Order: sequence, then structure tokens, then C-alpha cells
Amino acid sequence: MKRRTFVKNGVLFSSSILLARPHSAQANPLTAAPVIQVKGESPYEITKRAVLEIGGMGKIISRGDVVMVKPNIGWNRTVEQAACTNPEVLRAVIELAFNAGAKKVVIMDNTCHKAEDCYQRSGIEAMAKKLGAEVRYCDETRLVAHDFKGEYLSKWPVFKDYLEVDKFINVPILKHHGSAGLTIAMKNLYGILGGNRGKLHRDMGENIAELAGGFPGHLVVVDAYRILLRNGPVGGRLSDVEMRKTVIASTHIMHADVTAAVLFGKDPREVEFLQAAHAKKMGEIDITKIPVKSLTI
Amino acid sequence: MDSITSKRLQRLRIISQFFFIWLFFFLLLKSGGAAIEHLPQTGFFFYIDPLFLWVNVLSGPFLQVFLLALIPLIMTMVFGRFFCGWVCPFGALNQFFTWLGSRRQRRKIPVSRPSLRLKYLLLIILLVASLFASQLLGWLDPLALLTRSSSAALVPGANFLAQHALQSGAQNQGWVGKIVKPLYDFSRRSLLTVRQRTFLQAAAIGLVFFGLLLLNLYRRRFFCNTLCPLGAVYGFMAKYSLLRLPLNENCTNCGACSNHCTYYGSPFQDYLKSECVFCLNCLNDCPFAAIEVRFQLPRSGKRPALDMGRRQILAAAGCGLAAAALPQIGVNKKTKARDFIRPPGAVVEKEFLKKCVRCGACLQACPTNAIQPAVFQAGLEGIWTPVLIPVNGYCEYECVRCTRVCPTNALMPLTLEEKKQFKIGTAVINRSTCYTYADGYNCAVCEEHCPVPEKAIRFREVEVYNFRGKLKKVKQIYVVPDLCIGCGICENVCPRTDAPAIVVGAEEEQRENFL
Repeated sequence: MKRRTFVKNGVLFSSSILLARPHSAQANPLTAAPVIQVKGESPYEITKRAVLEIGGMGKIISRGDVVMVKPNIGWNRTVEQAACTNPEVLRAVIELAFNAGAKKVVIMDNTCHKAEDCYQRSGIEAMAKKLGAEVRYCDETRLVAHDFKGEYLSKWPVFKDYLEVDKFINVPILKHHGSAGLTIAMKNLYGILGGNRGKLHRDMGENIAELAGGFPGHLVVVDAYRILLRNGPVGGRLSDVEMRKTVIASTHIMHADVTAAVLFGKDPREVEFLQAAHAKKMGEIDITKIPVKSLTI
Repeated sequence: MDSITSKRLQRLRIISQFFFIWLFFFLLLKSGGAAIEHLPQTGFFFYIDPLFLWVNVLSGPFLQVFLLALIPLIMTMVFGRFFCGWVCPFGALNQFFTWLGSRRQRRKIPVSRPSLRLKYLLLIILLVASLFASQLLGWLDPLALLTRSSSAALVPGANFLAQHALQSGAQNQGWVGKIVKPLYDFSRRSLLTVRQRTFLQAAAIGLVFFGLLLLNLYRRRFFCNTLCPLGAVYGFMAKYSLLRLPLNENCTNCGACSNHCTYYGSPFQDYLKSECVFCLNCLNDCPFAAIEVRFQLPRSGKRPALDMGRRQILAAAGCGLAAAALPQIGVNKKTKARDFIRPPGAVVEKEFLKKCVRCGACLQACPTNAIQPAVFQAGLEGIWTPVLIPVNGYCEYECVRCTRVCPTNALMPLTLEEKKQFKIGTAVINRSTCYTYADGYNCAVCEEHCPVPEKAIRFREVEVYNFRGKLKKVKQIYVVPDLCIGCGICENVCPRTDAPAIVVGAEEEQRENFL
């Protein structure tokens, strides 16, 4: 019983401590941060619009900030196969970040397939370089133990690069995931981790929730332009991909994920990591309680 | 020949050597990095190698590109061993180390003829063995040796040293760090591999390689004079070549011409066309411009040549027979079971051992570092043939590089579509260690990574008693053997830290169904 109270307090404390840390975009996760869902033909335009609707990039980025944009570059797959974030969505985010006064934009992900292959084939490296963002590969000598202060996930190696930046923008792609059910923004944070990440597949829901709880970031832009409906997260077959032509943006990581889960066609209550996050009072799991603004352009 | 022309010719030779070293490493390094569609003709040096032409003729089907090997062979009839002196990149490295070692005044080692003879005997051994099943030419062929050593030792070794030097420099807080940091960031993006490449036997292959280079300090161009079977082929042809280094009347018998002669001979005494690589050091060393370069028809009568000795030739042939037979009578030749898998496109094992020249081009081409030089997995004659070691790397689904760089089609060239269907083995789950069976909790990392679109690894939700005795729902993993292509990414990513709970074995490998 003692440990349980300790952990409970720990979670409560950590959320309060997070306020003082640079990585706490949401002052109180339960305050109604809006979720914007924009549908349209151009992935670039809908991304721009979605960010504009939540108040613009200027609300998140201060002049001179070093901004980390974390897409999902996990796999050696093309845009059409919808396993990695759409470079056009990324283009909008990077441009907006620079326009808002970012000193530097860094793109980096700890990939599952060979990093060089993923960076190239996804089209992300070329796009980011064209826009003047720094494309960085994970360097295992830059791993540091980071405390996520969770019950399941406490200390785990994280690439220093993610901790050293001023702002963290999470740009995942929405897709099916065999063991997690779905992978969206919270699961995308596995990419900041090093070490034997496979071990975190035990009690995965809890781990994902605690990971996002300990590292919520400042902005989430979910790419749901093409979504992988089956055989994720790696996919590969074009018949498993569906066009949804949507982008979801929010400063609240869990609410972005709940909204994306509904868009995918899944009951958020059936997604383990959302359940776990809800149990940890990270946010609402009931879509009707989340202020979602949907528009089509 | 006057001293200015001599100097120019010698310079030209050095430039030529540098060019071919550059070309060699350019092609080699390109084979790993370039997009598959833009793979350069990495096999260039293999296609002009008469020994590999021989291998290809023996193992068939004949590849026309190997006709290129006739060009240096015919040119040798005219120019002698120009290939060794002007083209061969390993020869150039040996020359370079010889030059490095010759800086200080050294005691002259009298040339020892038996050592020059050894390479011809080795060639006989290897050729005789290759007539039977044992194909061992690649162990000593200079181009295969250099490719293999570069792939498995030199390039990854240099990468390691550069990475560490730059890294520690970049961490410096002072001015050193300011200079090195951008250099480090740049090289991490372009030159260095993101993850250090590792190889089975990297140390063994590297020690052989550096050992051979160091032997140049003991004797000039040690490998070329003593061991090189390709040099032996060219030496044999060069005996009848037209290019010569005759002396004119200026010669005073001073012997300076042998000062830097690669085989410790000289045009002045015991000029051996079979050993002369036309490095033209003698031209430059001659103080009296007494050496000419001229085409002459071979003189009739007895030519100065190495005496091979009938006994030695017979003994070598006998050794060749032993080398052919002994590896063929190990138990591994009879047993069905095999504890290794081959890269995609590999032909039937028996044919594979005949076709593979152990060059290691595939080691370098493999982007994920999965292809490794075998130790004893594939038997004695299988040493340094490529095997796939999934714990070190997986076979990338979207890649056919190894099948494209293989010069002899031991790995058949496959299209991407063919390769995605090519079954190199089958994954097997070890239920006594897999978390989803043994411990009763979810994992599914292997399922997640399985690249087959329909998923060859799946899970079914069952209720089991976990290790605490609680009834729990667990997603238990299973393999669909018909869909599995054996890429090994499951074995590669299995989070168990003692031994992977899912391993790829040779079961149902497709290549064995062909014959």
C-alpha cells in the first residue's frame, strides 16, 4: 500500500514539477486545450490551417527558440505506404516554426529500420534539408538517463538532443499498430528513447501513458492524410492505406490521440494506452468531453 | 632512356596506381550507400580478373561480362605484368608499404628464388582444387582479398577510429571543440556510418590483411612476389611478352638498378620478365641512363626464367588434390541440417560453394550489416563465404544490393519483387523463452517489425496463467511458415537479452528446392 501511495503522489508531483520544466506546454492537462481537426486536399494547407486555428505557431514558439520537430521516421517506407509522417505536413510545421522566429529546427528520430534508409525513403530528410532544418541522426553516445517518474517507466535512456531544445513538436502519423492497437502522438515518443526499447512492449499501454505524461511536448500535429488501417506499424501494402486527408492539432497530447483514435474508427476506451492515460488523469477519454473543432477547407 | 623521361614514366605509374586505388574504394563504398537504382558497376575489378573468369567457366552458366578478363590477359602478352605494377589496387598498396619501409638504409636481402616460385605452386594447388568442388581461389586472389579485408576490417575500422577521434574532439570545450564540432557533425551526416558496422572475424581478416602489408617491410612487395595467384597467372603469360628493358652501352655494371626493384632483380642481371611489373624504378635509379624500354620479339633459345622444378609441380598438384578432397568428406556434406542461412538469391549450397569467390562485396553492400563472412558454419571450404547473421542485422525487405554486387551470380540477381518472395529461411519461436509463452505477458516486437504485408508473425489472444499464477489475457505470438521469408528482423529485434526467443533457421529455404 505504501508504494502505491508513493507512486500516486509521484504522478501528482511529477505533473506539478513538469510546470517548472521547459517541457510542459500544458499548464494543466485538464484545462480545455482545443483540438483542431482540418480536412482538405492539400496536406500542407490543412496543416497550416490547423496550427493557425489553435492560435498560431507564435503562441508556442518564442523568438530564438531551438525547436525539435519529431516526426515518425521509423520505417524504410515511402509516403504512399503511410508508415512515416508525410513530408508535406512536416513542411508546413517547419515553415511555421521558422516564421514564428525559431532559431533552429531539428529533425530527429530513433528509427526501427536502418536510419539512413528511413530518412531517405520517407522523403523527410530531403524535405527538411530543403527548408533549412537540421537533420540529425541519433548518436548513441548522447544517451542520458531520464526520469519519467512513472510507476512502470521511470529511468530510461533518452537522447540528450530532445532534452536540450526549447520546444518539442510531435508530428506523428496515425496508423494501426499490432500490439498497441494504434500509434499516434503518445506512441511516437518511443522515438526519443534509446536502449532496449522492445522491453517496453510489456505493459505497453502503461508505458506509453507514462512516457507521454513525463514528456508531453508543446504541440502535437497528427498526420492523418494517409492512414495505415491494417498490418501496422510497418505496413507496406497499398491496399491497407486509406486517404483520410485530415490533420489534427492540439497542445494536449492525449486529447489529440483520442480525437485521432475516433477518426481511425476505434473506440478510445478500447485502446490500452488511452485507458491507462485516462486512469492516470492525463485527460478525457470520452470524445464528447473534448472540445474538438472540425473544419474542411 | 634519359632521366627526365624515366622520371615521367615512373610518375605516370604512380598516378595510375593512385587512380586505381581511388576507383577501387569509390566503387566499394558506393555499393553500400547508393540507391539501388543507381548502383555503379561495382564488379569492375572482378570482371577483369582472369581467375574469376576461370571460376565462372567452371561453375557456369557463362557470364559474358567475364570476357573482359581476356583484355588484361592479352595485354600481358604485349606489356608483361603491367597489371600488377600499374593497375592492381592491392599491388599498389603493397608498393606503397614497400616504399614506406624502404626509407631507411637496409641490409639488402638477396633475392630468394624459391619464394618467387611459391606463387606458381599455390596457383597450381588452387587450380587443381577448383577442378573438383573446392573453390578456394578467392582466399588469395588480390582483388577478392582487398575487397573482403576492406569491407570487414579496413572500412569499419577506419570508421571507428574517425568516429572516436572526432567525437572526443567535438566534446572539447575550448577552441579544439569549436573546430572539430562542425567537422564531426558533417561527417556523421555524410562520411561515417550512423551505427558502427561489426563483423564476424573482423580481427582475423584484418590481421591477415595488415600482416600482408607489414611483410612488405621484410621483403619488397611480399604478397605480389610470393603468394599472389593472379600475379602467377600474369607472370606465366609475361614470359612471352614483347615489352623489355634492354641495356645500352652506357651500363657500367654498377647494379644500382636493383636498388628498388620489386623482385630484387634488375635488367642488368637476372632480368625475369615473369617477375618484372614495370614499376620502372630501375630506370630512375640508373645513373647512366643505360636502360631502355623497347618492344622486342622474344628471343629464340633459352630465356632466363624461373626453374619451377618438375617435382615441385607434381607436389603442388598433389596438394591441390588433397585440398579438393578433404573438405568434401566432412560430415557436413551429408547432413540435411544446417545452422546458417545465406543471403537472398543464393543458389543451391553445392553450387554456391563453387561460384562464390569469397570476395566480400556483399558484406560491404549489405546496408544493415547482416551479411557476415562465415567462420566454420559452412564447413572448411565455406570460410569467408557470406552468411546472414540476424542478431547483427536483418535482411532489409526493400533491398537487393547484395544480389546486384555479386560478381559471379552466387547470389542470383533479383528484382525487388522477386526478392520479397525469396525465402531464405523460416522463423521459429522458442516457446520456453518467448515472453508471451514463458512469462505470460505481451511483447509482439517481432510481429510489429515483420515486413511481410500480410504479416508472417501474428498473435492470438488467449487466457493463460502467468508466472504469478494469475489468469491473464496474452497476445501469444505465432509464425505463419508459408509467409515467412526468413529476413531475420524478428530475431534482430527480440528484446530478450540472453538469446533471441525467435530465430531464423534454414528450414524450408527456397534455394534447396531448385535442384
